[in-house]
Amino acid sequence: MKNKDEFLKQMENLQVPEMDPGEHPEMVKMAIMNAERSAALGVWLIVVPCYFLLCVFMYYFFHIHTGWFGAMFKLMESLEKTPGIAFLGPIILVVLPVICIIINALAITHVQIQKQGTQQSKVREFRVTIKIKLWNILLILLSLAVVCTFIAYVMTENISIKN
Amino acid sequence: MKLNWFTRKGIIYRPASIVGWLILAIALAYAVYTFITIDSRSHSVSDTMINFVFNVLLIGLIYTVVGYFTEAERVE
Repeated sequence: MKNKDEFLKQMENLQVPEMDPGEHPEMVKMAIMNAERSAALGVWLIVVPCYFLLCVFMYYFFHIHTGWFGAMFKLMESLEKTPGIAFLGPIILVVLPVICIIINALAITHVQIQKQGTQQSKVREFRVTIKIKLWNILLILLSLAVVCTFIAYVMTENISIKN
Repeated sequence: MKLNWFTRKGIIYRPASIVGWLILAIALAYAVYTFITIDSRSHSVSDTMINFVFNVLLIGLIYTVVGYFTEAERVE
Protein backbone atom coordinates (compact mmCIF):
# COMPACT_ATOMS: atom_id res chain seq x y z
CA MET A 1 0.00 0.00 0.00
CA LYS A 2 2.81 2.32 0.89
CA ASN A 3 4.56 1.50 -2.31
CA LYS A 4 1.43 2.33 -4.24
CA ASP A 5 1.16 5.73 -2.59
CA GLU A 6 4.79 6.44 -3.26
CA PHE A 7 4.35 5.39 -6.86
CA LEU A 8 1.35 7.67 -7.29
CA LYS A 9 3.23 10.55 -5.71
CA GLN A 10 6.16 9.99 -8.04
CA MET A 11 3.85 9.91 -11.02
CA GLU A 12 2.23 13.19 -9.99
CA ASN A 13 5.60 14.90 -9.67
CA LEU A 14 6.91 13.66 -13.01
CA GLN A 15 8.32 16.35 -15.30
CA VAL A 16 6.30 16.35 -18.49
CA PRO A 17 8.26 17.31 -21.60
CA GLU A 18 6.99 20.53 -23.17
CA MET A 19 5.85 20.38 -26.76
CA ASP A 20 5.63 23.41 -28.99
CA PRO A 21 2.96 22.75 -31.63
CA GLY A 22 4.13 25.75 -33.65
CA GLU A 23 7.54 24.24 -34.21
CA HIS A 24 8.22 22.88 -37.71
CA PRO A 25 8.18 19.14 -37.88
CA GLU A 26 11.28 17.33 -39.13
CA MET A 27 10.89 16.32 -42.73
CA VAL A 28 12.83 14.60 -45.44
CA LYS A 29 13.80 17.09 -48.11
CA MET A 30 14.25 15.07 -51.24
CA ALA A 31 15.99 16.69 -54.20
CA ILE A 32 14.90 15.90 -57.73
CA MET A 33 18.23 14.41 -58.77
CA ASN A 34 21.00 12.48 -57.06
CA ALA A 35 23.82 14.82 -55.96
CA GLU A 36 26.73 12.41 -56.51
CA ARG A 37 25.56 11.27 -59.93
CA SER A 38 24.97 14.87 -61.02
CA ALA A 39 28.45 15.85 -59.85
CA ALA A 40 30.01 12.93 -61.76
CA LEU A 41 28.25 13.89 -64.99
CA GLY A 42 28.84 17.60 -64.36
CA VAL A 43 32.62 17.12 -64.27
CA TRP A 44 32.54 15.57 -67.74
CA LEU A 45 30.20 18.27 -69.04
CA ILE A 46 32.53 21.15 -68.18
CA VAL A 47 35.89 19.50 -68.69
CA VAL A 48 36.09 20.49 -72.40
CA PRO A 49 35.10 24.18 -71.93
CA CYS A 50 37.46 24.42 -68.94
CA TYR A 51 40.25 22.92 -71.00
CA PHE A 52 39.60 25.44 -73.78
CA LEU A 53 39.53 28.32 -71.29
CA LEU A 54 42.79 27.09 -69.76
CA CYS A 55 44.38 27.22 -73.21
CA VAL A 56 43.03 30.75 -73.78
CA PHE A 57 44.39 31.99 -70.45
CA MET A 58 47.74 30.35 -70.99
CA TYR A 59 48.02 31.86 -74.47
CA TYR A 60 46.75 35.41 -73.92
CA PHE A 61 47.19 36.19 -70.22
CA PHE A 62 50.36 34.27 -69.42
CA HIS A 63 51.79 34.66 -72.96
CA ILE A 64 52.81 31.04 -73.28
CA HIS A 65 52.78 30.85 -77.06
CA THR A 66 53.43 27.16 -77.44
CA GLY A 67 52.02 25.08 -80.27
CA TRP A 68 49.88 23.15 -77.80
CA PHE A 69 47.73 26.13 -76.79
CA GLY A 70 47.76 27.65 -80.27
CA ALA A 71 46.53 24.40 -81.79
CA MET A 72 43.40 24.56 -79.62
CA PHE A 73 42.33 27.81 -81.36
CA LYS A 74 42.94 26.23 -84.75
CA LEU A 75 40.78 23.31 -83.67
CA MET A 76 37.89 25.57 -82.60
CA GLU A 77 38.23 27.56 -85.83
CA SER A 78 38.16 24.38 -87.88
CA LEU A 79 35.01 23.31 -86.00
CA GLU A 80 33.32 26.58 -87.00
CA LYS A 81 34.36 26.27 -90.65
CA THR A 82 33.35 22.62 -91.10
CA PRO A 83 29.71 22.70 -92.35
CA GLY A 84 28.41 19.51 -90.69
CA ILE A 85 29.79 20.18 -87.21
CA ALA A 86 29.64 23.99 -87.02
CA PHE A 87 27.03 23.70 -84.25
CA LEU A 88 29.44 21.72 -82.05
CA GLY A 89 31.40 24.77 -80.82
CA PRO A 90 28.49 26.65 -79.19
CA ILE A 91 27.09 23.39 -77.79
CA ILE A 92 30.38 22.51 -76.10
CA LEU A 93 31.11 26.01 -74.82
CA VAL A 94 27.63 27.11 -73.70
CA VAL A 95 24.99 24.36 -73.77
CA LEU A 96 27.00 21.74 -71.83
CA PRO A 97 27.83 24.12 -68.92
CA VAL A 98 24.17 25.20 -68.82
CA ILE A 99 23.11 21.53 -68.54
CA CYS A 100 25.72 21.14 -65.78
CA ILE A 101 24.20 24.09 -63.89
CA ILE A 102 20.67 22.67 -64.24
CA ILE A 103 21.42 19.11 -63.12
CA ASN A 104 23.55 20.22 -60.18
CA ALA A 105 21.04 22.86 -59.11
CA LEU A 106 18.27 20.26 -59.20
CA ALA A 107 20.44 17.96 -57.06
CA ILE A 108 20.89 20.41 -54.19
CA THR A 109 17.70 22.48 -54.14
CA HIS A 110 14.41 21.60 -52.51
CA VAL A 111 11.36 23.73 -53.21
CA GLN A 112 8.19 23.62 -51.17
CA ILE A 113 4.95 25.57 -50.97
CA GLN A 114 3.39 25.38 -47.52
CA LYS A 115 0.30 26.91 -45.95
CA GLN A 116 0.93 28.76 -42.70
CA GLY A 117 -1.32 30.44 -40.18
CA THR A 118 -4.81 29.81 -38.82
CA GLN A 119 -7.78 28.41 -40.73
CA GLN A 120 -9.16 31.88 -41.46
CA SER A 121 -5.97 33.57 -42.59
CA LYS A 122 -3.81 31.03 -44.32
CA VAL A 123 -0.72 32.40 -46.02
CA ARG A 124 1.15 30.38 -48.58
CA GLU A 125 4.91 30.23 -48.10
CA PHE A 126 7.43 29.43 -50.81
CA ARG A 127 10.49 27.81 -49.31
CA VAL A 128 13.74 27.10 -51.12
CA THR A 129 16.30 24.95 -49.35
CA ILE A 130 19.82 24.56 -50.69
CA LYS A 131 21.90 21.66 -49.49
CA ILE A 132 25.55 22.46 -48.90
CA LYS A 133 27.19 19.92 -51.16
CA LEU A 134 30.66 21.20 -51.97
CA TRP A 135 31.20 19.49 -55.33
CA ASN A 136 27.81 20.45 -56.72
CA ILE A 137 28.17 24.08 -55.67
CA LEU A 138 31.71 24.21 -57.08
CA LEU A 139 30.52 22.79 -60.40
CA ILE A 140 27.65 25.29 -60.57
CA LEU A 141 30.03 28.19 -59.92
CA LEU A 142 32.57 26.92 -62.47
CA SER A 143 29.86 26.44 -65.09
CA LEU A 144 28.48 29.91 -64.39
CA ALA A 145 31.98 31.35 -64.82
CA VAL A 146 32.40 29.51 -68.14
CA VAL A 147 29.00 30.61 -69.48
CA CYS A 148 29.52 34.23 -68.37
CA THR A 149 32.96 34.29 -69.98
CA PHE A 150 31.60 33.13 -73.32
CA ILE A 151 28.58 35.44 -73.21
CA ALA A 152 30.91 38.36 -72.41
CA TYR A 153 33.19 37.31 -75.27
CA VAL A 154 30.31 37.11 -77.76
CA MET A 155 28.92 40.50 -76.64
CA THR A 156 32.26 42.29 -76.88
CA GLU A 157 32.98 40.67 -80.26
CA ASN A 158 29.60 41.84 -81.63
CA ILE A 159 30.07 45.36 -80.26
CA SER A 160 33.54 45.65 -81.73
CA ILE A 161 32.37 44.33 -85.13
CA LYS A 162 29.46 46.83 -85.25
CA ASN A 163 31.76 49.71 -84.33
CA MET B 1 13.12 -0.53 -67.56
CA LYS B 2 16.31 -0.26 -65.51
CA LEU B 3 19.47 -1.12 -67.40
CA ASN B 4 22.33 -2.23 -65.20
CA TRP B 5 25.19 -1.80 -67.64
CA PHE B 6 27.55 0.32 -65.52
CA THR B 7 28.54 0.99 -61.93
CA ARG B 8 29.97 4.31 -60.81
CA LYS B 9 33.24 4.74 -58.97
CA GLY B 10 33.79 8.46 -58.38
CA ILE B 11 33.44 10.12 -61.76
CA ILE B 12 34.30 6.99 -63.74
CA TYR B 13 31.66 4.54 -64.93
CA ARG B 14 32.81 0.94 -64.94
CA PRO B 15 31.12 -1.72 -67.03
CA ALA B 16 29.01 -4.15 -65.03
CA SER B 17 27.65 -6.30 -67.86
CA ILE B 18 28.59 -7.57 -71.29
CA VAL B 19 26.82 -4.64 -72.94
CA GLY B 20 28.81 -2.25 -70.74
CA TRP B 21 32.09 -3.88 -71.72
CA LEU B 22 31.03 -3.76 -75.37
CA ILE B 23 30.33 -0.03 -75.14
CA LEU B 24 33.70 0.55 -73.45
CA ALA B 25 35.43 -1.49 -76.17
CA ILE B 26 33.68 0.54 -78.90
CA ALA B 27 34.71 3.80 -77.19
CA LEU B 28 38.34 2.69 -76.92
CA ALA B 29 38.38 1.44 -80.50
CA TYR B 30 36.96 4.76 -81.70
CA ALA B 31 39.59 6.64 -79.67
CA VAL B 32 42.36 4.61 -81.32
CA TYR B 33 40.77 5.16 -84.75
CA THR B 34 40.60 8.93 -84.21
CA PHE B 35 44.24 8.96 -83.08
CA ILE B 36 45.34 7.17 -86.26
CA THR B 37 43.19 9.46 -88.45
CA ILE B 38 44.40 12.65 -86.76
CA ASP B 39 48.02 11.51 -86.81
CA SER B 40 47.87 10.77 -90.54
CA ARG B 41 46.82 14.34 -91.44
CA SER B 42 48.52 16.46 -88.76
CA HIS B 43 51.86 18.22 -89.16
CA SER B 44 53.24 18.18 -85.64
CA VAL B 45 53.05 16.26 -82.36
CA SER B 46 51.20 19.07 -80.57
CA ASP B 47 48.71 19.28 -83.43
CA THR B 48 48.04 15.55 -83.08
CA MET B 49 47.83 15.61 -79.32
CA ILE B 50 45.53 18.63 -78.98
CA ASN B 51 43.09 17.16 -81.49
CA PHE B 52 43.32 13.74 -79.88
CA VAL B 53 42.81 15.04 -76.32
CA PHE B 54 39.78 17.02 -77.50
CA ASN B 55 38.32 13.92 -79.14
CA VAL B 56 39.08 11.74 -76.11
CA LEU B 57 37.27 14.19 -73.84
CA LEU B 58 34.24 14.16 -76.14
CA ILE B 59 34.27 10.34 -76.26
CA GLY B 60 34.57 10.30 -72.45
CA LEU B 61 31.60 12.66 -72.20
CA ILE B 62 29.39 10.51 -74.46
CA TYR B 63 30.48 7.35 -72.60
CA THR B 64 29.64 9.02 -69.26
CA VAL B 65 26.22 10.13 -70.51
CA VAL B 66 25.49 6.52 -71.55
CA GLY B 67 26.77 5.32 -68.15
CA TYR B 68 24.66 7.91 -66.34
CA PHE B 69 21.43 6.65 -67.88
CA THR B 70 22.26 2.94 -67.62
CA GLU B 71 23.83 2.89 -64.16
CA ALA B 72 22.94 0.07 -61.78
CA GLU B 73 21.07 1.12 -58.68
CA ARG B 74 23.17 1.10 -55.54
CA VAL B 75 22.04 -1.09 -52.65
CA GLU B 76 23.07 0.53 -49.36
